[in-house]
Amino acid sequence: MATATAAGLKLTGIDLNYGFVKALDGVDFEVGPGEVVALLGDNGAGKSTLLKVMSGAHRPSAGTIEVGHAPTEFRSPRDASAAGIEMVYQDLALIDAADIATNLTLGREPVRKGFLGWLGILDKKAMRREARHELEALRVTTAPVTRPVEMLSGGQRQVVALARSAVRVTARGQGALLLDEPTAALGYAQTRQVEDLIRRMAEREIAVVVVTHNLPLCFAVADRIVVLNRGRKVADVATSETDNDAVVGWITGAKAPQPGLERMSA
Amino acid sequence: MTMTDQQHDTTSPGTTARGGVTSETRAFPAIDTSGGTGVKVLIFLRNWGILVLWLLLVVIFAFWAAPYFFTLANAALVANAAALTAIFAAAVGFGILSGALDLSIPGSATMAAVVGGLVISGGAPAWLGILAAIAVGIAVGTVNGILVQRGLNPLVVTIASLTVLTGLAQVVSGGLPVTGIDELTWMGSTSYWGIPAPVIVVGIVYLLGWFYLTQTRSGVRVMAVGGNIDAVRRVGIRADGYRVLGFILSGICAAIGGLLVMATTTQASPNPSVDLLFSAITAVALSGMPLTGGRGSLPRVLVGALIIATIASALIIRGIPPYWATIVTGVLLILALAFERFMAGAVAKRLAPPPTATLATAPANPAPTPKEA
Repeated sequence: MATATAAGLKLTGIDLNYGFVKALDGVDFEVGPGEVVALLGDNGAGKSTLLKVMSGAHRPSAGTIEVGHAPTEFRSPRDASAAGIEMVYQDLALIDAADIATNLTLGREPVRKGFLGWLGILDKKAMRREARHELEALRVTTAPVTRPVEMLSGGQRQVVALARSAVRVTARGQGALLLDEPTAALGYAQTRQVEDLIRRMAEREIAVVVVTHNLPLCFAVADRIVVLNRGRKVADVATSETDNDAVVGWITGAKAPQPGLERMSA
Repeated sequence: MTMTDQQHDTTSPGTTARGGVTSETRAFPAIDTSGGTGVKVLIFLRNWGILVLWLLLVVIFAFWAAPYFFTLANAALVANAAALTAIFAAAVGFGILSGALDLSIPGSATMAAVVGGLVISGGAPAWLGILAAIAVGIAVGTVNGILVQRGLNPLVVTIASLTVLTGLAQVVSGGLPVTGIDELTWMGSTSYWGIPAPVIVVGIVYLLGWFYLTQTRSGVRVMAVGGNIDAVRRVGIRADGYRVLGFILSGICAAIGGLLVMATTTQASPNPSVDLLFSAITAVALSGMPLTGGRGSLPRVLVGALIIATIASALIIRGIPPYWATIVTGVLLILALAFERFMAGAVAKRLAPPPTATLATAPANPAPTPKEA
């Protein structure tokens, strides 16, 4: 497990106000390379808002964001992406009609050498080879990389989407991968496949944040669990040191916040 | 039909990433034994059903309209008739592939021809006229593209362009056709080795277009933008530029179409032919290219144009009034759509995994499992 000295992504004292509503109230959050942190909370607890702050979609009212120790400011998702923060959206953001290889290499397509490359002519063999290497590096098999994504099952599509984002984080050498309900639409076996993939991405020193309602998923993949309740962090605990009941208690508010995280009342 | 969870069997942790990928086909041995040849046949039919349909029509007409239909002379006629539809269909196709139905095509074609014709009749060499016409196509495409990229509705924008260009062509030409353009007959009424010149031009356009869309980075991105522009943006590509590029390609094809009409008739009429646009859209729709964009293939569009011309030719030979050709084409279009729908469903059914274990088999409330023991 990564230590605090090698943070992939670190947020400190994040406040976010929607009008008079405090959606986030002094939230500290941290994920290190090779660490999987599950972000839990009931609907409206602020976990999606926090995820949007991490991905640059929302700007916090107060607080700082650090990527690999450098304080940064995200003015837009593009800034976050440039800093190595990759968000895997629920809608997957794949090009349905294009094949797996095209989807995995989009934006950095290999071209032929020399004059042909200058003309922008693709090296299709290299494209397929790179796509296969990337899938193999994560030890996933989906389908032939020449298959259009629209012909894949939900689980296979999710794997392709995850692999594409993982490759981009790895290429930057810093940052984090943000997953929003990565198994929401999947069956049991496919969920297992994605769980394995998340663990393997962590083995490759990628920092992973998983937002989910799914406690089994959370206990299967996460090193650490962070629970939000009404905009405040109420628990930040190693998965090995807690259990299902405790986490449910924090989510619902039935269990008191961890020491040090109590709501400071004036 | 079992997919999933193969990763443990296929790749052992010891295998290096590089070692496994020596051959194209063997990298993923455990996959797709499920669908097998059945899926391959279905995918082939889905992709090339239109070609099969056209070949069937040719065979049927060869008997039905014998002896005049199945001759080289008639083939040249059919090809020539298909060429005009096909060039405008390429214009429609580029637009749709990049995400928008471009209705300004007849306007761009007319304007391009009028400008090109005026340049040539003003005494400039033919190549300059051609260049001027194509520049008009590029200009119209750029304006359309930029307006659409600013968030205006593509249908409305391109209808507006069509209207503006229709008037502008009248203004520029003084309301009269530009006549006596004999300098372009080499790409109009001339034949080379028995092949009409427009057919050769259209063949080259389609070959280049196909190569561009499937083999170049820029072309693949134009298609990707048509399929899912947000996804393209999210990987950090300047997607809007590729959107505009799609409109420019459409404009270029429209301009070439205008030039071909002018070359064949030796004059440039300032009245846009909306009929040509509709047969072009028909050819595109016959090819199975959905109007939602991002998918489809130019070679299939070419076959679509050939089908329309083939039906018209056979009916003319049999002495059947030409309006029957439009009826038959319309019915075929609906059949083609139904076929497309059916095949897509069949392929999806074959490829999708069965609804395997669902929530019932998942551990409903797993004991907290400390992983880091």
